[in-house]
Amino acid sequence: MNPTPLSSNTIKPGQAVLMKGITKVYPDGVVALRDVDFEVYEGEIHALLGENGAGKTTLMRILYGEIRPTRGEVWVWGERVEFRSPRDALAKGISMVYQNFTLIPNFTVLDNIYLAVSSTMRVSREEVVGRLQTLMGELNFKIPLEATVEELPVGLQQKVEILKALVMGARILILDEPTSVLSPLESRALFELLRSLKAKGVTIILITHKLREVKSVADRVTVLRRGKVVGVFGVGEVSERDLARLMVGGDVVVEGRKLEGVRGGVALSIEDLHVRDDRGLLRVKGVTFNVRYGEIVGIAGVQGSGQKELLEAIVGLRPVERGRVLVDGLDVTGYGVGERRRMSLTYIPDSRGEGLALTMSLTENSIIGLLERFLGRLNSIRWGLAERYASGVVRDFNVVHRSLWDPVLYLSGGNQQRLMVGREISANPRIIVAHEPTQGLDIASSNLVRSKLLELKRRGSAVLLVSSDVDEVLGLSDRILVMFDGRIVGEGAPGDFDEEKLGLLMGGFVEAR
Amino acid sequence: MVVDSYDILLYLAFASITYMTPVLLASLGEIIAERSGVVNIGVEGILLASAFAAALIAIVTGNPLLGFTSGALVGLLAGLIHGVLAVYLRADQIIAGLAFNMVAYGLTVMGLVSIWKHHGASPRIGVSLEEIEVAGYYVNPVSLASIALAILAWYTLTKTRVGLALRACGEDPRAAEAMGVDVNRYRVVATSIGGLLAGIGGAFLALEVVGQFTRGISAGRGFIALANVAFSGWNPLLAVPGAYIFGFLEALSIYLQQWALGYEYIARTLPYIGTLLVVTVFAWKAIAPRSLAKPYVKE
Amino acid sequence: MRLGSLENLRSQLLEVTLALVVGFVGGALALTAFGHNAFENIQVMISYGFRDLGYLLLKSAPIVLTALAFLVPLKAGLFNIGGEGQLYAGAITALLLSKVGFYLAIPAGAIAGLLVGVAIGLLRVVRGVNEVVSSIMFNWTLYYLSMFAIQRYLLDPVYTHQSIRVDRVLSLPEVAAVMLLSPLAVYLLLYNTELGYRIRVAGSSGRVARYAGVNLNIVTIQSMAMGGFLAGLGGAIQVYGVTTVVDTTLSSLYGLGFLGIGVALIARGNPLAVIPAAILVSGLLIGSHWMELRGRVAPELADVVIGVVILALSAPYAYRVLASRMGWGVGGG
Repeated sequence: MNPTPLSSNTIKPGQAVLMKGITKVYPDGVVALRDVDFEVYEGEIHALLGENGAGKTTLMRILYGEIRPTRGEVWVWGERVEFRSPRDALAKGISMVYQNFTLIPNFTVLDNIYLAVSSTMRVSREEVVGRLQTLMGELNFKIPLEATVEELPVGLQQKVEILKALVMGARILILDEPTSVLSPLESRALFELLRSLKAKGVTIILITHKLREVKSVADRVTVLRRGKVVGVFGVGEVSERDLARLMVGGDVVVEGRKLEGVRGGVALSIEDLHVRDDRGLLRVKGVTFNVRYGEIVGIAGVQGSGQKELLEAIVGLRPVERGRVLVDGLDVTGYGVGERRRMSLTYIPDSRGEGLALTMSLTENSIIGLLERFLGRLNSIRWGLAERYASGVVRDFNVVHRSLWDPVLYLSGGNQQRLMVGREISANPRIIVAHEPTQGLDIASSNLVRSKLLELKRRGSAVLLVSSDVDEVLGLSDRILVMFDGRIVGEGAPGDFDEEKLGLLMGGFVEAR
Repeated sequence: MVVDSYDILLYLAFASITYMTPVLLASLGEIIAERSGVVNIGVEGILLASAFAAALIAIVTGNPLLGFTSGALVGLLAGLIHGVLAVYLRADQIIAGLAFNMVAYGLTVMGLVSIWKHHGASPRIGVSLEEIEVAGYYVNPVSLASIALAILAWYTLTKTRVGLALRACGEDPRAAEAMGVDVNRYRVVATSIGGLLAGIGGAFLALEVVGQFTRGISAGRGFIALANVAFSGWNPLLAVPGAYIFGFLEALSIYLQQWALGYEYIARTLPYIGTLLVVTVFAWKAIAPRSLAKPYVKE
Repeated sequence: MRLGSLENLRSQLLEVTLALVVGFVGGALALTAFGHNAFENIQVMISYGFRDLGYLLLKSAPIVLTALAFLVPLKAGLFNIGGEGQLYAGAITALLLSKVGFYLAIPAGAIAGLLVGVAIGLLRVVRGVNEVVSSIMFNWTLYYLSMFAIQRYLLDPVYTHQSIRVDRVLSLPEVAAVMLLSPLAVYLLLYNTELGYRIRVAGSSGRVARYAGVNLNIVTIQSMAMGGFLAGLGGAIQVYGVTTVVDTTLSSLYGLGFLGIGVALIARGNPLAVIPAAILVSGLLIGSHWMELRGRVAPELADVVIGVVILALSAPYAYRVLASRMGWGVGGG
C-alpha cells in the first residue's frame, strides 16, 4: 500500500504547517524522531497515528515550541519559524491541549480562561465572558463558567481547554490523545465539536492511537512508528487493517521463547475485578484471568487502559471495588502489600519514583521489598548480606555505579531502572508482576531483562507482564491478553495474533466474531 | 457585682483589639506569601527585628510614625531576603525560616545590650499614636487599619486579576507559568509584602502593646500567626476573628495575672494552650495552596 | 552500614566550612554594626571557647541530645522543633523525682519528654495539626509551667532564685558516656535496625513508603516519641550533670532545644557528626560568654553566627551553582 499525497476536495489550499527533516536525539542517546516530514493543510483535521513511544507527542511538542529539534525545519503559514517557547507558538496561533490539562483545578472556568487571556492581552472579565458566550453559541454547547474546573467531568474540562485556546486566538489546535480520558459518549461529543471547529476554519492536529477515531473524524493521517513516518494517507483511501499493520509493524523481536511448556498449578487468579482510580473513576471493569506457575502471561494494551489500577489491586496497593484476587487459591483481596510480598509475590512498578527511595543507597534500595530476609538478631539489618545481594543485582543487571552506598539518585535513569527490575527478579519470587520493565532501557538492557524474566519462568515462577511494547509482549508471553478501556478484549497464544489483529484490538476495534 | 463583670468583659473586649493587631498583621502578610506558594516560618523573627527597629527609631526621634516606617522597612527587607532564598536559591523554606528567627533573636539582643546597655529591655518609648475613643474605651487607629487591610487583602486576592494570578502561583505553578504568569516574580513580591505587614505588626507590638522593646518580645506570636493562617483557611477575612481569639486569650491572661496571685505563670500559658486547643478542635480540612513550600523549577 | 563515599564526605565538609566562614562574616558584620571591634571579639570567642576541655564536654552533652531529638524525626520527614519544651519537661521531672534518686529521676525525665513528643505526633496523625505549630505552643506552655513548678514546689529555701539541688551530681565521665553513646545508639538504630530503615523510607517519599508497605502514621508517632525521649534525657542530663540546679528564670535551660536544631543541621543529618558539631557550637557559646566578660558584647552573638551558618546551609543549590562556576566536582546530582 503506497502512501499518496492527498487529493480530497474538501481540503482548502494553503499549508498551515510544514515540518521538514525533523530529527530529535536526546542527550542519553535515545532517538525519538528520525528525519520526519509532516505536512498539515489549512482547515483540515489531520491525525497523527502511532503506538506509545512512536514519537507523536515529541513531534508536536517541537511544533508547540516546548522542545527544540536536533535537526530540521518548521514552517508555519508559509513562514520559517524557530520557536523558543510555547509563548512564541501561541503568538502564531498554535495551541496545544495536553492529556494533563494546564488548568488550575480549584479555580472556576472563567477564572482559568480569564487568567490565561489577560496574560497576553488587555481584556476585561466582561469581554472574556462575551467572547466565551459567543463561541459556545457558535459551537453549540454550554459550560457553566462559574463552576470550578475540578467539579466538571473530564470531557467538559477538555472543552474548557479548547475554549481557552480559541479565546486566545488559536487557528491551529493540537490535541494530544484527547479521548484517552473520555467515555465513548464524551468522545462523540468531542468529535462533533471538532467538526464544528473545522467548519469555522480551525486547523486541527489529532494525536491518537485509536484507529476508529482516525476513521471517523480525520481527513488525512500520518502514521509514525519508532520515530519514522511510515505512511501518509487520505483517510478514505486506507483501511483500518492497513493502518493497524503499519502502526504495529512487522519486525517482531522474538526471543527464544515457547517450549518447555511445563505449566504448573494456578499461581494467581483474578476474578471479575473492578477497580477505581484515585479520582473515583472505574478503570478496571470486570477482568478475569489466571496465571500459572511456569508461564508468562502478557497483557498488551496502550497505557491508560486500566493496567496500572489492575496491577496495583493485584499487588495490594489499591483497594478492590468488586471481585477477588487469589494467590495459590487463597483469597488475598483484603491483604496488604507487605503480606502479599511475604507470599513471594513481587512487583516492578512502572515508575521509578515509586519503586526507589532516591535519597537512600543502592544497597538499601535493593532490599526494600525483602527486608525480612535480611534481618538478624534483635531486628538488626545484616548489611553484609544485603551488600552481597546488592552486588549480585548490580552485576547480573549491569547497573553502572560508583559505590553500592551512593544514593540512587546519582545513577542515570537506565541504571535506576535496571536496579529496580534486578532487585525484584533476583529475589527469585514465585510470582512476579512486571509493569513496563524495560521502559527507558536500550536494546541490550531490554533483552537482558527479558531473558531474566524467561529464566524465572523456566525455573517455575509465574510471570505477569504488562507492557505497551507489543513486540515485547509477543516475544515473551506464553499467553496474551489484550486490554482496552478496562476490559480484556482479546485472549490467546501469541501465534493467534498477527500484528494487524493486535493493533486493531489495542486500538479498540473489536472484530465481530 | 453584675455591673463589675460587665465592665470587665467590655474592657477585655476592647483590649483584645489592641492585642490582636500584631498577630493579625503578621497573619495577613503570611496569607499573601503562602497563597503564592512560599511559607515563611521566619515571621517570628521579623516581628522581633521590626519591633527593635521601631523602638530604636521612636526613642531616638520621638516620632512614632517614623518608628512604624522603620519597622515596616525592616520587615520588607527580611521578606525580600526570604523570598530570594526560597525562590531563586531553592532553600529549604522551613529551615531558612528557623535560622532567620535565630539570627533575629541574636541581633536584637546584641542591639539591646550594645545600645541601651541592658539585658532585658529598652527604655520606655514614651511616644505612641493617638488613640481613637469609642464608647469610653480607646482603640488604636492601626488596629482599625489592619482590619481594613484584611478586607482589602481579601478583595484583592479574590476579585482582582493580580490576586488571581498570585493564587495560581500557589495552586499550580506549572499551569500558571503556562498561562503566562511569572511565578518566581510573584512569589518574591508576595513574600516581601508579607514581611512588610509583619514589620508593621512588630512595630505596633513595641510601640503600642508593650511600650518598649524587650528581649524576645514576640513571644511566639509569629507561630500563632502561622497557626491562624491555617485556621482561617488562608482567607484574610477569617484571619480577623482568629487573631481576635488570640487577642482575647492574651488580654484574659494579663488580666488573670493580676488576680490569680501565685498562679501568674499558669495564666501566662493561656494564649498558647488556647491556641493549641483551637487548632486541634477546629481542624477543618482547610486546604492549603497545593504548591505550598515547593520550589518551582522551570523545565 | 557505610555512609557514603569519601568524595561525598569531602563535599559535605566543604559546604560546612564555607557556611562557617559565612557565619563568621555575618557575626563580624553584626559586631561592626553595633560599634564593636569585630576582629578582637571574634578572636576571643574562638580562642577562649575551646580551652577548658572538661567544661566543653559537659556543655555539649545536652545539645548533643537535643540535636538527636531533631534529627530522628527529620529522617522521617518531620520537623520536631519542640525539643525546647521536651527538654524543660525532662529537666523539671528529673528535679521533681530527684528526692527519690537519680536512677529514677533521669529516666523519668526522658519519659516525660517522650510523652510530649507523642502528644505532638498524635495531634498530627489524628487531627492533622502541623507539628511546627504544636511544638511551639508546647514549648511556651512548658516554659511557664516549669517556672511555676520551680516556684511552687522546687524552690530552694535558702537561695530563692533557684531550685533545689539534685541528689547526686553526675561526674564528667558519666556525662561524657551519655554524650558519646547516644549518637552511637541513634546511629545504630537508624542504620542498622528495621525500625530505622522504615523511618528513613518514610522520610524519603510518601510514594515509596506506600510501595514498601510502611505505615506513615505509625512512623510519625514512633519517631516523635524517640525525639521527645532524647530531648527529655537532655534536660535531665543538663540538670544532673551540668548545672545541678535550675534557676527561676530557666536561663540555664533556655535555648538548648534550638541550639540542638542548629547542631543537627551543621552535622548534615549524620548522628555521629553531631558530636564534633556540638563541641564546635558549645565552644562558640562558651567563647561568647568570655567575649561578654571582656568586650561587653551580648553573648547572643553566638546565635547570630550559628543562625547565619544554618541559613547558608539551607540553600545547597547555591553551592551547586558556586561549585560549578569554580569547576569543583560536587559529588554528582
